[in-house]
Amino acid sequence: MQIDPAVKKETRYILGFSILLSAVMELVFYLCGHMDYTVPLGNLLGVCIAVLNFFLMGLTIQNSIGLDEKAASEKLKLSQKLRMLMVIALAGAGVGLPCFHSLAVVIPLFFPRIAIAFWPLFNKKDQQPADEQTLD
Amino acid sequence: MELAIGIILAGCAIGAGLALIAGIGPGIGEGNAVAKACEAIGRQPESKGAVTSTMIMGCAIAETTGLYGLVIGILLIFVAPNLFVNILKEAVK
Repeated sequence: MQIDPAVKKETRYILGFSILLSAVMELVFYLCGHMDYTVPLGNLLGVCIAVLNFFLMGLTIQNSIGLDEKAASEKLKLSQKLRMLMVIALAGAGVGLPCFHSLAVVIPLFFPRIAIAFWPLFNKKDQQPADEQTLD
Repeated sequence: MELAIGIILAGCAIGAGLALIAGIGPGIGEGNAVAKACEAIGRQPESKGAVTSTMIMGCAIAETTGLYGLVIGILLIFVAPNLFVNILKEAVK
């Protein structure tokens, strides 16, 4: 299966931003004096869950674009439920198991949201030619 | 004491269940967004890349709403019971 360039590009952006925010989070843990082996492990698990969830959502959107409206809507609803179950299982395991720091698992789940908040800043250059085209 | 602990555990379980109701909304929202995006791409096939990118980001934002509820649910199940039971035990002492 071919992966859409838009999905690849956005997943790469989310992954990069998540790694950056992970470094910041670990620095905060270190400065607070709570740094031990459970923090990087939990952080790794949390980032993997967040990025995998985003990538699977992108794949579903890519596959649903060719379908008719109702089928696309149903497909995305089903995908969202299954992805939510995956996140519940993995994040629940991360919080429940003692080898992962609970906060270090939970906080990275919100990194994609923070990355998206900064997305327009990095995407300004891509949007300008499209705006000019519509004006012409 | 045992009754109080039971009420705490039941409250946490019910709260977690209620928090996970938040997971229903994003599915409906994402479904509607994709349906409209399909319609837009059908009308203007040349805008597929831009629409896909914007839609992925929009769906990710919608998804976060469900994640807030999920995190609250996980914390209520795994973290809150021990915390509240400890507080209760200290209060009884």
